[in-house]
Amino acid sequence: MVLERSGTTASHEEGKERLLVEAAQKDPARFAQLYELNFERVYAYVVRRVRERGTAEDLTSEVFHKALAHLPQFDWRGIPFSAWLIRIAANLISDYWKLSGREVIADLPEQPSAENPEAFEESAHLFRMVDKLPTDQRRVVQMRFAEGKTIREVAQEMGRSEGAIKQLQFRGLENLRIELSGEHE
Amino acid sequence: MNKRSSIEQLEQAMQQVLSDRGAPLPQVEGEVGRLLQIAAGLRDLPRPTFKAKLKRELEEKTMSTATVSSPARAGFTTITPYLQVREANELVEFIKSVFGGEEIFRSGPGSEGGMHCEMRIGDSMLMIGGGPAWRGTPKPSAIHLYVKDADTTYQRALAAGATVLNELTDQPYGDREGCVKDAFGNHWYIATNRATGAAPSGLGNVTLSLHPKGADKLMAFLKQAFDAEEVFRAASPEGVIHHAQVRIGNSILEIGEAHGQYQPIPGAIFLYVPDAAASYKRALEAGASSLWSPAEMYGDLMSGVADPFGNDWYIATHLGSATQ
Repeated sequence: MVLERSGTTASHEEGKERLLVEAAQKDPARFAQLYELNFERVYAYVVRRVRERGTAEDLTSEVFHKALAHLPQFDWRGIPFSAWLIRIAANLISDYWKLSGREVIADLPEQPSAENPEAFEESAHLFRMVDKLPTDQRRVVQMRFAEGKTIREVAQEMGRSEGAIKQLQFRGLENLRIELSGEHE
Repeated sequence: MNKRSSIEQLEQAMQQVLSDRGAPLPQVEGEVGRLLQIAAGLRDLPRPTFKAKLKRELEEKTMSTATVSSPARAGFTTITPYLQVREANELVEFIKSVFGGEEIFRSGPGSEGGMHCEMRIGDSMLMIGGGPAWRGTPKPSAIHLYVKDADTTYQRALAAGATVLNELTDQPYGDREGCVKDAFGNHWYIATNRATGAAPSGLGNVTLSLHPKGADKLMAFLKQAFDAEEVFRAASPEGVIHHAQVRIGNSILEIGEAHGQYQPIPGAIFLYVPDAAASYKRALEAGASSLWSPAEMYGDLMSGVADPFGNDWYIATHLGSATQ
């Protein structure tokens, strides 16, 4: 039953994505919705491979600019839109390594051949979950992890005690764990 | 372990995780250990400011795409009827004198010995092709034409040699309309809206009208090939389409099943699309046959197909003023 339900959800998602792609092909202003749906997935895929935040941002940016420019050529007979974006990302990463003169090391755990192909999807899911946290917890998690701030810096910025920030951080991570494990259901 | 010490233990372990991302995760049991796993996964969390900035950049790009880069040449809409007759010069004069058409451009002879002329009637463009030396097959069209005063225009058409297909009458849908056939094979549905005097919303002064055998099949072709959207259809209980409108890009096309004196007039249609090569490919997949594959011509990327109903489609994307 679970499989059946998730299958229905997947095809529903695919149908929804398809409508969005068709809308964006007619009216590029609608591309923003496709971006919102796929940003975390693309970023997670890229950052797992290049590791360095600045490079991941540059490459992610290039993926979406390229996708927007080539949107009229995308058609559904090949692959889902999200897979198309990942293909663009994979090509850009490959070019990046070539240009930067670095060899792809086959057994590096971040390489696509070696890692669980779904791993970046799990990361993307985790990133999306952060957005659903209560505001204070979300801000703390973002400042600590995405912006690299210390507890003291976060406390100063939010005008709270360091103890309160640590508590918010703990609760935020707890909520994410509960969400990811499905315990809340 | 009480909650307070768990919170401190997590923070200490996290400092290790965040300071050296290559190091293995500290071995911590229980809930703190599980939270540390989550924390490790969050080391790559994207910066919200980056996500917002990239979105803004993309939005700016789509706005500039929408305003600067149109797939059509200046003055043209998605669909332009392309009337091709041997008496092309006479047809141009007829359109000038009867409908107040303005000649914008003329060139020729082309590869088949014909001339090409572009004309404006009100807010719409028409293309005329052919001429006495032209070796192609005539492709006249049926045009729904909104004018200021249908009575005057209708009389002028008859005086210029057109014949009556349908007398000018007040139609139940609010238009005063009559239909004539010019001396060159084109049908003109001359109309004025009695209430507004203007073309209905969405229609220009000139709208191409097609009467194929199998209107539903033509509509299906247009949807598949050119992303046509059905605006409305009036059909019999048996499904015969009496009158329908589809929108392609920013133009409307009228379609009705062939009947009585309104039999198919396989025509030629100039179509501006965002990606001529992709539309050409999709038209072939939808059942059209190729007339020529996409090539750069006159500042457009242009391809040609014949649909299964005998209409020729010139599928083009304007390449920008620099190439003209």
